[in-house]
Amino acid sequence: MRADAVRGHLDGLLLAVLEAGPLHGYAIIAAVQQRSGGVLDLRTGTIYPALNRLERLGLLSSSWDSVGERRRRCYELTDAGRNSLANERTAWREFTAAIGSVLNPAPPPRPAT
Amino acid sequence: MNAASRPADRDRDDGLDRGLDGGLVLDPDSELDDPVEGYVVALAGALRGPARVKARMIEEVRDGLAETVAAYTREGVPRERAARQAVREFGSPDELVPSCQRELTIAQARHTARAVVLTAPFLIACWYLVWSTDPGGEWMVPRTAQLLAVHLASVAGVGALLAAAGLAATGTLARWLPTPHRLPLAVAWAGTTASVAMAIATLALAIASLLATNWPLVALAGSLAAASHAAMAASARMCRQCARLPIRVGAAVAR
Repeated sequence: MRADAVRGHLDGLLLAVLEAGPLHGYAIIAAVQQRSGGVLDLRTGTIYPALNRLERLGLLSSSWDSVGERRRRCYELTDAGRNSLANERTAWREFTAAIGSVLNPAPPPRPAT
Repeated sequence: MNAASRPADRDRDDGLDRGLDGGLVLDPDSELDDPVEGYVVALAGALRGPARVKARMIEEVRDGLAETVAAYTREGVPRERAARQAVREFGSPDELVPSCQRELTIAQARHTARAVVLTAPFLIACWYLVWSTDPGGEWMVPRTAQLLAVHLASVAGVGALLAAAGLAATGTLARWLPTPHRLPLAVAWAGTTASVAMAIATLALAIASLLATNWPLVALAGSLAAASHAAMAASARMCRQCARLPIRVGAAVAR
């Protein structure tokens, strides 16, 4: 799937993979790619500014996590983030249902005999 | 666009190339042999913003690349090829700079807005201090000082209100309302105006300290106003620089 198409849904993807628990940047990328079966063509670097933005909006919180000599920034969903994820899911279901009903119209009812 | 194929206008100082269209090109002859480090240096050189926020962003990028390289090398890919592959998957600096810069510009705007909100009441307090130390109004230029004080306090008040609105619009309110692209520039000019008001206040307090009976207190207020002006001017200048950087509309998710 093209990167342009993915970009509009990046917030929902990031919130969804963080639903289970806190993750750092690389683990978030790996989770998105694993869940999508590698289908999503996502420039992995684009998630870092997106995570910063979601934190600024109060949908994520973050803290430094030490791994040996290195530090990693771990992100976690806030309550507002969980609400936003629920809204994203509802909006996605409505969107796919609407597009699906146009692309795959239900067969016309058979005339009564 | 393939960054490595662009014509280069080499900048030997930071190991960066800039293409004819201003795009960033990773310098193949750079002393930085490690593609990851070369990428990080290129990105860091292209971004402007608050030092702490930028450092954090760059550290995260470096860590993300290092993790990707480590994952490839664990699969048996040679280190050099793994590094090149990680950088390719990450997206070129040109692809990343707009969204990173937008976040840094907003961070700088919030930084400047906070400074305005905190220092504007201080400016008003300075004038109150001057008046309270000279209740009889026996200055040599009391009328001028009074008018100046009213104007500066008004400017400070309007600047603080604008800055507070900017802080709200770029914080949690941005979940529901899109952030106007010109907002950082508006905050930058609010900060610049507040910084000019601080400079005038410094001058006025310096003159007042010569005339006031309790001059050490007024001189202290003048010194604090000068320090506030210096901090505010630097923050507003950086905010103007960030706000003027070209960011492709739509490159960043518009929130």
